[in-house]
This record gives sequence, structure tokens and C-alpha cells, in this order.
Amino acid sequence: MAAYEKRRPGTAPSGGQAAGSEAEFLLRAGVTAMVREALLKVLEARPEEPVSFLADYFERLVLGDAAAEPAGPPQRLARALWYVSLAPHSHRTAFDSNTGAAYEVLGGGGGGRRRAAGVDGRLYSELLRSICQHGEAPAEAAAALLRRVRCRDHEAVPFDVFRYGVLTCFVLLEFAAKADALFAVLDGGSGAADARVCQAVLRALEEALGSGHFTQPRRYLEAGSRLGPDGLALAMDRALQERKLSGSTSREEFLKKATALFVAKVKPVE
Amino acid sequence: MSGAAGPGPPVGPGRSPLPCAPRPAAALQLSGGTEPTRPGVAVIDLRFPRGAAADVSAAWGGTVQEIVFKNFYTAFLSVRVQRPGPGGSRRWVTCLRDMCLMPCPHTEQGAQDYFSLHRNQMLCDMDQVTAVRFILRQPSPVWLQFTIEELQIFPTGQKSPQTDLPSWLSQLTPPEQPASLHGELPDPEKVSTEVQQMWVLTEVIRTRQAAARIGRFDVDGCYDVNLLSYT
Repeated sequence: MAAYEKRRPGTAPSGGQAAGSEAEFLLRAGVTAMVREALLKVLEARPEEPVSFLADYFERLVLGDAAAEPAGPPQRLARALWYVSLAPHSHRTAFDSNTGAAYEVLGGGGGGRRRAAGVDGRLYSELLRSICQHGEAPAEAAAALLRRVRCRDHEAVPFDVFRYGVLTCFVLLEFAAKADALFAVLDGGSGAADARVCQAVLRALEEALGSGHFTQPRRYLEAGSRLGPDGLALAMDRALQERKLSGSTSREEFLKKATALFVAKVKPVE
Repeated sequence: MSGAAGPGPPVGPGRSPLPCAPRPAAALQLSGGTEPTRPGVAVIDLRFPRGAAADVSAAWGGTVQEIVFKNFYTAFLSVRVQRPGPGGSRRWVTCLRDMCLMPCPHTEQGAQDYFSLHRNQMLCDMDQVTAVRFILRQPSPVWLQFTIEELQIFPTGQKSPQTDLPSWLSQLTPPEQPASLHGELPDPEKVSTEVQQMWVLTEVIRTRQAAARIGRFDVDGCYDVNLLSYT
């Protein structure tokens, strides 16, 4: 691209210094740093199609550099959304640094303005909503979660709260995916699973989560024994032996109940 | 209770030691010696109050279950108990002979350790015991004093009450699997994998909390009660 071409110096360097000057050229052009950044991002995100990911990345880079004025809120929102979805939330350091970049972009500080406006509640809520929509979370669960972690429109959102909200949204998405997979196992291919079995499994999960606020290692042992294959098999067997009339649970209902369990454990922002 | 100051050795739940008051260790005195010598042998006598006010000793059948103490630079320990012998008299029987508490009497190893002597380790039966005598030996001249502290004697008959076992512990070895599991059960392994991952995710969120609070309802001090009362 024209913007990136640099004039070669008039006198060609002699052959002996060719290797040295090439490295210097790359360094001067800023290519080394840029390529290193791009490689880091690819490693963090591990996309299925690295080529399109890289193309997307460079395109955004160009747009970001070329824009004279920082973009308006929708563009900033899109950019922030792209940043936070780069690395999965389980890669904690990568996720944190991406969230930091997103926070800056959203706050308007990334465009070189002298005063960053900061992130207010409205932008924060919109970002969370678009994360949930992008990941196709069940609507009710997303709404309930947003109610818990939301900030009022006029409030300034500090970075910790921002990171907490974004992380919670991503964990909710993964949780919903896992609940979906669980339902697929429970129903065994048919579209509906036995209501008693679903209830037994969800009840076991709820009991394992417990209501206390302890962080003793004992809780992990306890949960492990409750949710082991033996315990679950017994619970499901006991449920099936009850004589109550059994209905069937559909996928949406199961997802709703499971995500309700999750959202209940999210600490609200205050 | 033993007369030692300090926290004392850990006592198992539900066990209470017999009330006894050990006198300080009396050093062996060689007759005829005028200057105080350090003979390296000391004796601690314990007598159990007979018919004393404490319910424990009254109901005590004289059986000793365990002796727990903290060593203080004693190298070897012998224990003798007084038991009723044939014919009604009481005689002293050695129940522990020269137990080595410190592998090398000159060095620190074992010098301040806690020891526990169970009745199974004793040479004789520890029933109908009326008195206990501890004979301490410390042949090394390095240490100025030696004794045993925090002496506690536990009688039998006091089972440590079953502490409330958490329910999941008793489920670790489950009773025989019901042989006829319902045929239509979904695969428990897969279910368990998924459910455990869901549990982990929820735990991650539940233990995290926004470190910074929005401070929605914080006031900056202008609503202090003292100030309000002046306006």
C-alpha cells in the first residue's frame, strides 16, 4: 500500500552489509513489531482459520491507523467487541490484556485524543448485550445476568468492574454451551429428555454448588464425590424409580433452568 | 489436668485426661553426698485421687489407655505402675523399660518432641492402676535440667465420639451398585464430565468478584451523623 512504502536510499548498500541493512530496514519500518504482535494475537486466539483472522486483524489495524478522528461509539463498540473475543476467557492473561485494550478503545483513549472520556454505563451495557447476542446465549439468562452486573447509564465504570462483567458474559456463554452438550447426552439423540432425570442431575449440581460462601478445599472434594459418575448414576436411577408421572423436558427448558442456577451465583455489582 | 503452662499437646476430640497433679521431677540423691550432684536420674510419681470429686476418676476402672507427654531433654524413660498383686497387696510392675526418647543424648534430636504411649506398647496389663511412676534418665552432662511436661493420662472407656462425618465421606465407598440400573440411563461418565465442567465454571464466577466497587451508594462523608445533627 502506498502509505507503507518507503523510499529506498539512493545508493544501494554493498553486498557485505546486505543482511544487516535488511534487518534494519524492517526495524525502521516497524514491520518487526507489527508482525510479532500479529503472531502473538494468533497464538492467543488460536482461530480455526488463521488466514482470515490475520486478514481481519491487519484490516482493522489499517483502519485504526488511518482514521484521523476516533470513531464514534458504534465503531468503538465493534472494535472493543473484536478485542474481547480474541482470546478465550480461560487464557487468563491474554484475556485480561485484550480486555484492557477494549476498555481503552471504548473509553476513547485509543484514538490519540488528549482526554479520554472513559467508559460509562451505557457503553458497558451495550457491549455486554452485544457479547451475549454474538454468542447466542439464551435470552432470559442473558437478561438476568445483565440485570445483575449492570451499571446505571450515568455511572463511570472502573476497569475491574468492566473486566468482571465481560468475563461473566463469556463464562455464561461457555456454560450455556456445556448445558447444551449435557442435554444432548441426557436425551440420547431424541429431542426431549426425561424430566425426572434432568431434575435429578440439576439438583445434584445445585447441591454441589451449595449455598455457603466457604472456599475450603473440602467443598471441591465434596462436589467431586457428589458429581462423580457413581453418585450421578445413583441419583438418576433413584429418580427413575419414582412412581411419579414423568414428563419430558425440552432443550429450552433445560437450558433455562441450568443457566438460572449459574446466574444465581453471580455476585451483583454494587 | 497436668500442671504445665502453655497450650499443651493436642487432645483428640472427646477425650479428657485424668485429673492428676504431677510433682516436679525429683532427682535421685546418693546418700552421703553433700554437694548437689546431677545424677542424671529423676523420678516423677503420679497418684490418682481415689474417690475424688472428679467424676472421671470415680468412674475410672483403673485402666490406662494412653499416656501422652512432651519431652524436655530426657534421654530414656521407664514407666512403672502400681497394681494390686496376688493376695491383695500392691506391687510395682515395670510396664516400659528404657524407652529411648533421644537417639543421641548429647544432641537435640527428640529433645522436645511429643510422645504417646499406648497400652499396647506396654509390657504388662494396664488395668487397676493406682499409681504411675516415670523414671527419667539423662546420662549426658550437656543438659542442665531434664523432665517431661504436659503429662496426660487417658483412661479407656472414653471413645472419641464419632464426629459428624460429612455425608460425602461416607459415600466414598458406596454400597453395592444396584445391579439392575435402569436400562435407559444416559451414560453416567459423560453426564458427570459435563456436569463437573459446569460446576467449575460456576465456581470460577462465584469466587471472583469485582475488586473495585462502583460505589453506587457511597456518600462522601457529608451525611455524617455528626454533621447532620448541626444542620
